[in-house]
Amino acid sequence: MLKKTGNLVILEGSMKKLGLLSLLLLWTALSFAQLKFTATASKTNVGVGEQFQVDFALNGGGERFIPPDFHGLDVLSGPNPSTSMTSINGVTSYNTTYSYILAADKEGTFQIDAAAIVSNGHTLTTNSLKIKVKGQAPQQQAQPTQQAQAAAPDDASKADAKDLSKQIFLKAEVDKTNVYVGQQVKVSYKIYTRVGILGGQPDKAPDLNGFYNQDVVNRNPNSTWKSETYKGLRYNVATIKQSILFPQHSGDLSIDPLGMTVVVRLQLPSRNVLDDFYGNVKDVKYQMKSQPIIIHAIALPQAGKPADFSGAVGSFSVYADVDKKELKANETLNYTLEITGTGNLNLMNAPKISPPVDFEKYDPKTTDHITVDSMGVSGSRQFSYLLIPRHQGDYMLNPINFTYFNPATKQYVTIPAKGFSIKVDKGDVTANVPAFNSTDQQEIKLLGTDIRYVKTSSAGLYKNGEGFYDSVLYYILLLLGPVLFGGALFYRRWNTQYNSDIVKVKSRLANKIAAKHLAAAQKELTAGNKSAFYEAIAKGLYGYLSDKLNIPIADLNRENIADKLKARSLEAALIKQLDDTIDLCEMARFAPVTGIAQQEVFDKAKNIINEIEDKI
Amino acid sequence: MKRGLYLLLLLALPLFSLGDDNTALFEKGNAAYAKAQYQQAEKAYQQIVDGGYQSATVYFNLGNAYYKLGDIPSALLYYEKAHKLAPGDEDINFNIRFANSKTSDKVEPEPEFFATQWWHNFILFFSASTLAVLSILLFLAGFGVLILYLFTSSISLKKASFFIGVTMVFVGLVMVFMANRQINYFSNHHQAIIFSSTVTVKSSPDASAKPLFVVHEGTKVTVMQTNDTWIEVELPNGNAGWIASSDVKEI
Repeated sequence: MLKKTGNLVILEGSMKKLGLLSLLLLWTALSFAQLKFTATASKTNVGVGEQFQVDFALNGGGERFIPPDFHGLDVLSGPNPSTSMTSINGVTSYNTTYSYILAADKEGTFQIDAAAIVSNGHTLTTNSLKIKVKGQAPQQQAQPTQQAQAAAPDDASKADAKDLSKQIFLKAEVDKTNVYVGQQVKVSYKIYTRVGILGGQPDKAPDLNGFYNQDVVNRNPNSTWKSETYKGLRYNVATIKQSILFPQHSGDLSIDPLGMTVVVRLQLPSRNVLDDFYGNVKDVKYQMKSQPIIIHAIALPQAGKPADFSGAVGSFSVYADVDKKELKANETLNYTLEITGTGNLNLMNAPKISPPVDFEKYDPKTTDHITVDSMGVSGSRQFSYLLIPRHQGDYMLNPINFTYFNPATKQYVTIPAKGFSIKVDKGDVTANVPAFNSTDQQEIKLLGTDIRYVKTSSAGLYKNGEGFYDSVLYYILLLLGPVLFGGALFYRRWNTQYNSDIVKVKSRLANKIAAKHLAAAQKELTAGNKSAFYEAIAKGLYGYLSDKLNIPIADLNRENIADKLKARSLEAALIKQLDDTIDLCEMARFAPVTGIAQQEVFDKAKNIINEIEDKI
Repeated sequence: MKRGLYLLLLLALPLFSLGDDNTALFEKGNAAYAKAQYQQAEKAYQQIVDGGYQSATVYFNLGNAYYKLGDIPSALLYYEKAHKLAPGDEDINFNIRFANSKTSDKVEPEPEFFATQWWHNFILFFSASTLAVLSILLFLAGFGVLILYLFTSSISLKKASFFIGVTMVFVGLVMVFMANRQINYFSNHHQAIIFSSTVTVKSSPDASAKPLFVVHEGTKVTVMQTNDTWIEVELPNGNAGWIASSDVKEI
């Protein structure tokens, strides 16, 4: 025995020191025979739903425990590892145990396969176990004296299990079944019971396909039981789970049932005095499921839906703010948009803002302050936009219109957020200018394209088929030029011909001059005013001679005229004729003349002028 | 330069009476368009056109109104009509290009021989009406200068007026010729806009004929020949075939 314990001590040491003598290794190899890995069940004959314990124990240290296959037995708890170390009189013993709490949900024989563990580099396996499951679970340890009898009344407990569904059940409740996409639905899972519950927990969370799901965090971890009457029976009711669901698309969406396994304590009819005293009860494991619920999700109406709808459904308010209203170019500006209210805040997209084009815009940072409670999802979501103005100037951050859909009024509601005027001062040239801005010149940003605007100047309308081109007027005007030219050409030719005879031309000219000077006389002649006529003739002749011979009016007398005419070598006969005519005219002014008609005098005077013109 | 020409045109055009109500309608359409009430603008312009009046301006504005209402084929139809009346107008040509980019068919035109292209650009540079007015003014001025040549006695003035006058008359003649060629070009190029959303072009004028290709609304086609209720059309890329004449509207 001493030798053996010595070996054990060495064994302990050998686990830490690797370079041991082969002799010692031989000893330790022998000692392994004493390492045992065993499986034990607390009972091998159990009822349906009865809990029992299976331990896998190793009298030493082990690692890499491989659990066995339980073949249909429910694992209620485990593996629960435990180690113990005892040292008695310097002899240390070490134990490792993995225990499971199991239960069977149907009758039959179940095998628990071997478990495995690695110790000291050796793999150890346990024996396998057989568990016989027959009948309902017997009463638990609380009534140890009744245990033997409890297994017997099968019929009674079966009857209890049958109407257990009336005694205890799960119910899913929604606050509404007809909703818009994005509108919140509250689903509550409630447990209704008329029997005592020892324990239990929900199975895995139900799949909620087509929903965005937010569980209500219960601040009070202990379920509060309330009394409620349902179908004429009184139940104890507790809410075990609440979720806020947001339908993601339109259509009939199904809320899957929630499953739950509970262990309930049933009262059995008493059979003897002791039963009366202690109560004849048994614990039953019971699985239940809530009923599935269909939610009819309606798509949001298209009418009145703005193009930049961010998907908000509920009831919100919006608040905008900027951290500064005056800054230097290339400094940062924070524009914050806070949306507060009740609804699908988590699913809301950042509203598009359109800062002035010279502002650089970055994607917004989202900060949520959202609470999920039994009233629904509420709180605020804050979008923080980082803007960097690149040029100085006075800019306007236009007010943003935030639009949400209000399912209560079934309408889109647009609420404006404040706009801000931002004053940007000239920034430091060196500070904050990105490296790629190597030149000051920038390309003109094309913001969009559109058709050219309508022409607002005169319409210039004309009737179809009455266009100016090809019209009669067009041809007339077109021909006007050549025709005028032709006329001009013709006129020039006629003119040339007309003026070709010099004598004729001269006489024409003289006639003109005579007519000019004798115009007054002509007038008096037609008027039949005798004395005035002769005066006009005389005046005309004097006037002509004064012009022609360049004699001032003051020096105008007959002698002078005759001298000048002679000097110009005019015929004496003509001078005499002129003299006679003037004589006649002067005489006729005071006395009537006979033997000559007025017309004759006029012609004579005209002839004289023509003759003088001819000669001089 | 062009603006000045239009002013000249406008001076000549009051000869052709345009009713006061048309001017009022035009103003009404412009006002509605400015207020983005495109439906009313379209109605006003359309009323002018339905009344049997035309001008590049009113066609252009009507095309704009249709464009804003999203009716691309109608917009293109009226742009093309405007283009026909004022082929050199850059606004009209720009909007044609812009509206064409909104149609679904992308048709690469067959490359034209460069001289043909120059020739077309040359004869389409001014509208026929502009050319008519210009040629008349040049004729009148040219012959006026030539008349001066006939009667002036100064030798230098005579020389100058002769050459100036002859040049003006020659340029006027060229413009008369250009206008004639332009009218001829448009009467030989019957074009149409597809108005049905999808049209299958057939190999012969028969509903059961072999389908050749599919064109969509807004595409401009050249009308080759007409046969009862069918017309033969050709795309700018050279593909040709028959479609029902109800599927298109001629420009």
